[in-house]
Amino acid sequence: MNSNTIPVGPFHPLLEEAEYFNLVVDGETVVGIDLDIGWMHRGHEFISEQKTFTQSIYLVERICGICSSSHPIACVHAIEDVDNIEIPLRARYIRTLVGELERIHSHLLWMGLAGHFIGYDTLWMWAWKYREPVLQMFEIISGNRNHYGMMRVGGVAKDVDAEKIAGLLEILDMVEKKMAMLAGAANDDPVIKSRLKGVGVLKHDDAVNFCAVGPTSRASGIPADIRKSEDIDAYSLVDFNVIVMQNGDVYDKLVLRVLETLESIKICRQCLQKLKEVKGPIVNNVKEISPGEGIGRYEAPRGEVFHYVRTDGSNRPIRHKVRAPSYVNIPTYAASCVGIPIADALITTAAVDPCYCCTERSLRVYDNKREPMQIDLLKLSREKTERIRRDIYGR
Amino acid sequence: MADCKEFLEAMGNKIHKTIDKKGRLYFEVNNDDLHEVVKFLFHKMGCRLSTATATEMYHGIEVLYHFSHDATGQYYCPRVVMTNLQKPVMNSITPIIRGAEWIEREMAEFWGIEFIGHPRPERLLSKDHPQGLDKPLRFRRMS
Repeated sequence: MNSNTIPVGPFHPLLEEAEYFNLVVDGETVVGIDLDIGWMHRGHEFISEQKTFTQSIYLVERICGICSSSHPIACVHAIEDVDNIEIPLRARYIRTLVGELERIHSHLLWMGLAGHFIGYDTLWMWAWKYREPVLQMFEIISGNRNHYGMMRVGGVAKDVDAEKIAGLLEILDMVEKKMAMLAGAANDDPVIKSRLKGVGVLKHDDAVNFCAVGPTSRASGIPADIRKSEDIDAYSLVDFNVIVMQNGDVYDKLVLRVLETLESIKICRQCLQKLKEVKGPIVNNVKEISPGEGIGRYEAPRGEVFHYVRTDGSNRPIRHKVRAPSYVNIPTYAASCVGIPIADALITTAAVDPCYCCTERSLRVYDNKREPMQIDLLKLSREKTERIRRDIYGR
Repeated sequence: MADCKEFLEAMGNKIHKTIDKKGRLYFEVNNDDLHEVVKFLFHKMGCRLSTATATEMYHGIEVLYHFSHDATGQYYCPRVVMTNLQKPVMNSITPIIRGAEWIEREMAEFWGIEFIGHPRPERLLSKDHPQGLDKPLRFRRMS
């Protein structure tokens, strides 16, 4: 085998986050991948153990800028699990509403990036354009477009006022229409199908063995969703379907996210309708947490967010473990990237929504003579789409 | 909770100090029995490994694995306690579950635990660190 190694990362002005992996290629084919993490380890677990429970919620909110309500929800679930604390019904609906709005804007963000990576810049611009109203909904609900500060142990921090609900439902209707349009565009386009079907397949057995979560596992036929398996928030009180696909390729992950977004809109609408009827407090007054341990989790847009809290009866955790979904989804590259053409490497790695975006911009390749040369994964990916487009439309 | 009952019947003699609370089953397991318990959870019951947590306690270092049974929402958490603080050693479960590779490497790096049988026992987060970190990063009582 005559292989070359392509290092991607770790630092480049165009990278949004620091990541580093080596693609081993034989000609045009990827034959191996070696991941190297730790470039942005921020010590959140250690810091959280120096903070009070309430401060920890604000801290974990800042782990991720995109799923900035998933971590706080999982964190309060873990703390509440220590003492089996019940939360008011109104707070359950508000938590569910915030979590699902986050799923909508996260999936739209991913769709936009995926479109850009395969040369569909119109999809990118549309998806991000229609993500804006969702962020406006967050601003109406919490006052912030990001880092909402909504979660509290025992409930939520802010109520959704009755006079805001009609406006929120109007925005939701508009987003649903636009999502249906995007879904139609993605479904009907033969180029997208040809470009993504059969690309970067993660087999069912590999997804099980790597313990993958979220859309990454559900696209491979694993029907696991925390919202159904555990009685959290208001998910047992609303009607929705868990979307599961079978092929495990990038196309299935795209379709799954589109359909999940429509399900999320359905959940949000039910929550808003219920908030018109359900009255009462939004938080239970929790004065202290007993010694013990608790597990909290939430189905974030990328998959299960896991928090474990151990307490000694004081007002802070003695151990706080956080596991984000990308931590278990990124190692699946070792199964999904091997054997694919290098032009598909970018969209395959992006398909798990790994929380780093611009890996494709510029990287250094050593050829057989150890001479450095530049290659652009984005360019390769988009060129492949263009070739398929010409084959189909003949121009 | 039929699965929980089945688990307790099959593994009853291998688990100790059980805490059962509202969908979470925490229990201690000897290092020698860990593989058998993990195989039962992963292969027979179809549990998924969420992650593992290492904690430094007064009596030693604890490693708590978190297995999620997604069909029922039940959590099974086998706990291995290592009392030798100078040289904590336990069996790796990565040969059984590939998804355990990163978290075991991370625990080895942070708490100095040696995982016997780990296929790739190298640092996860601070490999090639310019300061050449050679001590467990979060272990406070290392002499």
